[in-house]
Amino acid sequence: MTGAFIAFFSLLAVAFAALVMTVRQPMRGALALCGHMVSLAAIYAALGAHVVAIFQVLVYVGAVMVFMVYTIMFLDDRDPSCRQLFSRLALPALAAALVVAGAFRWLFGELPAGAPAAAPVDIFTFSAFSLAFMKQYWFHFELATVLLLVGVVAAWAAVREGRDG
Amino acid sequence: MTRLALIPLLPLAGFLVNGLVGSRLPRWVVALVACGLPAASFALTAGLFRELAAGGTPVTETLFTWAALADFRVDAALCFDQVAAVMCLVVTGVGSLIHLYSVGYMAHDKSFARYFAYLTLFLFFMLLLVLGKNLLMTFAGWEGVGIASYLLIGFWFEDGEKNAAAMKAFIVNRVGDTGFILAAFLIWFFAGTLDFRGINAFFAVAQPSAAVMNTIALLLLLGACGKSAQIPLHVWLPDAMAGPTPVSALIHAATMVTAGVYLLSRLNGVFLHAPAAMTVVVWGGALTAFLGATMGLVQFNLKKVLAYSTMSQIGFMFMACGLGAFQVAFFHLFTHAFFKACLFLGAGAVIHALHGEEDMRRMGGLAKGMPFTFLTFLFASLALCGVPPFAGFFSKDEILWSAWSAAGGSPALWLVGSVTSGMTAFYMFRAIFLTFFGPCNAPEKAREGIHEPPPSMAVVLGILAFCSLAAGFIGLPGFWRKALGFPAPFYDFLAPVLGHPPEAGGAVHQAELPLMAIAVLAAALGIFLAWFCYSRRPHWAGKLRERAGVAHGVVSRGYFFDAVYRRVVVRPADWLSEAVLARRVETALDAGTLAKPVDGVNAAARLFSRLQTGSVQGYLFYVLLGLALILCWGVTHV
Amino acid sequence: MDRYQFLVALAGLIFAMGLLGVAIRRNLLVVMMCLEIMLNAVVLSFVTFAVRSQTLSGVAMTFFIYVAASCEIALAMAIVALLVKRNGSLDLSAHQDLKG
Repeated sequence: MTGAFIAFFSLLAVAFAALVMTVRQPMRGALALCGHMVSLAAIYAALGAHVVAIFQVLVYVGAVMVFMVYTIMFLDDRDPSCRQLFSRLALPALAAALVVAGAFRWLFGELPAGAPAAAPVDIFTFSAFSLAFMKQYWFHFELATVLLLVGVVAAWAAVREGRDG
Repeated sequence: MTRLALIPLLPLAGFLVNGLVGSRLPRWVVALVACGLPAASFALTAGLFRELAAGGTPVTETLFTWAALADFRVDAALCFDQVAAVMCLVVTGVGSLIHLYSVGYMAHDKSFARYFAYLTLFLFFMLLLVLGKNLLMTFAGWEGVGIASYLLIGFWFEDGEKNAAAMKAFIVNRVGDTGFILAAFLIWFFAGTLDFRGINAFFAVAQPSAAVMNTIALLLLLGACGKSAQIPLHVWLPDAMAGPTPVSALIHAATMVTAGVYLLSRLNGVFLHAPAAMTVVVWGGALTAFLGATMGLVQFNLKKVLAYSTMSQIGFMFMACGLGAFQVAFFHLFTHAFFKACLFLGAGAVIHALHGEEDMRRMGGLAKGMPFTFLTFLFASLALCGVPPFAGFFSKDEILWSAWSAAGGSPALWLVGSVTSGMTAFYMFRAIFLTFFGPCNAPEKAREGIHEPPPSMAVVLGILAFCSLAAGFIGLPGFWRKALGFPAPFYDFLAPVLGHPPEAGGAVHQAELPLMAIAVLAAALGIFLAWFCYSRRPHWAGKLRERAGVAHGVVSRGYFFDAVYRRVVVRPADWLSEAVLARRVETALDAGTLAKPVDGVNAAARLFSRLQTGSVQGYLFYVLLGLALILCWGVTHV
Repeated sequence: MDRYQFLVALAGLIFAMGLLGVAIRRNLLVVMMCLEIMLNAVVLSFVTFAVRSQTLSGVAMTFFIYVAASCEIALAMAIVALLVKRNGSLDLSAHQDLKG
């Protein structure tokens, strides 16, 4: 049952990714990206990593995509200068990407079979993860907040630069 | 670090201080460093000398291993034996005095610190040369003094002529240095060592063929000729007078130019087994002594008279070396250092008083204005002329006696020496009469400024003049030793390294007194003639010059050495490098070998610069391509 | 093929698709979206390995990837806005200032 579930959403994720790559309108691309991310979140949930599934929806679909959509609306997305969808190097790049994908398949498809038995306690539930995370990674967490602060300041500085320049 | 290593290192420290930060220090600090460190070096030398003279053994010190190969090892080592001790005393003693003198002499120069940096650098290298335990250390010092000499001759580098003189000195010395280093190679090839004591010991018991010994000795002689301004490599010395006068006194009279004599004495073990080369040394020295004196006769530049005189006196020393009387040569080196330094410094005082005037025809009558300088100059001149009891008398007389009596000597050689010493007396007193007596020919303005040198210079002149008088008594000639029952501490001191005077073993001394008398008479005659021609009947000098005609022209042009070198060496070399190498060979080589690769590189650069499109997506494509290639490599290698 | 092998291969495929999109699309905004796809592929592989080994570190890493991603998108969108304002175009080929 879970296997079929994962296979279905994998197919969906790939299809949405292909859509992002090919549609002309950025807004439609953004919607396809949302679909892609939700599909991945479903896969995470199927794997039992509920924490990640929740973050995926909250942070990516919630925060990041809002940013994206806001920018698309802010800019004129029917930009007439974007006549051509793909760059001139599309075909060689496609060949190279196929090589990359094939190589990944070759290199990582050969994991040692069989996984360790699931732990008696599910460590990926939200509460278990939060406790363990805050015990082990509190320092990294603090560092991450600094990074976020720097990102906010930098974005603000960039916008100001645009307003003044 | 023992006292021995400090002797050369103190001047090096002085060089570093004055060279690196001297221009920012006040002048009195620069002067203090420049005089204090060599003086400390002299004090250390004196201390070590006392221990050695009291019967101590020579001190050696290995600083570090310079090079160690499978069967070849050279240490950076110093050795303070008797010969080095004497030389070291002269170098640090006279060197310190001349530093002191320079403080007064260079007081108004804008590059005060640079001058003292160079001068102490010279002192360091000279001490390295003297104290080197092996040929390589000495060679390092040998090249170093060449550099210091170059820097100091060209000290006033704004003047193109002085630069040319500096380069001439450097380049002519290269010829000699080639001989030195070839000799060092040969010595190592045969003896397997570069240590002085090892070399002498090796050749004492096992000599390769006579031809090899003569080759080595002649190559060494070539090196010595370059440094000591012997014919045919003497041409740089008169031009070297372009440097400041204290430099001429220290480097081109008292110490560096005598390095050749030092080298010959150091390697006496080689020369004693190369009889043919010894003959060359003797007659080369005699020729230089004679020709140098003749050239001194016709010069009007005060410093050049002294330069030719130096050349001539070193010829005497070489003569003594060639006769195997190394300690006699050394004694003359010792006394010569004092009186020649004194003469140069006296000349410097005169030139200083006349604001740079060096031509004796525009001097005269200075004895009244600067009596003290005159007196010291007179003392040193008398020493140079070999008038008893001044120092030069004892040393020069011993050389003349060797020329008569030693194994390689002959009456002809003695005659050349005696005539030369007569000429020496003539040109020295010619200089004295032209400079200090007669009417003053200096321009009105310069005449006002004639003054005695400042105390720092006067003290030095006094000390050196005293040494010119007194230094001879420590090495009395054999005859006087016997007659007065007086020892000769100088020769006894050097005996462990240089052996006893060759005629010491029961030779007859009857002839010595008459020969001595003749030499003194020759000197007196020279002095009398100089007085007669330049003081009593001044117009005679001009008449004599006219009468001599062609001969005077030849001599005053330095026997055409410079002209011949220009025709034979300089111009062909110029032609070869300019017309052949630069215009033909180089262009052909460029076209044949360089042009094609350069074109190739250009084409490749143009090709690859197309990759730099400036488009972000192009670069991203390269990233993708690179990733694909890396992964492909991974696939094939996992 | 077991589940984890399949998911890792899927992550590789999605990563390659994102990279391809970045390399060939000319629209700046779409290029940004493809970058997000690449990041998601990485997250997928982390989660897969974490679940497979039943350890926490992979999941903790995804958390930090989310932090980095939100920072990145905030900055990137500001820069995109600036670029468009400067060159008046969303077309990447209009931005050729890197030409040497």
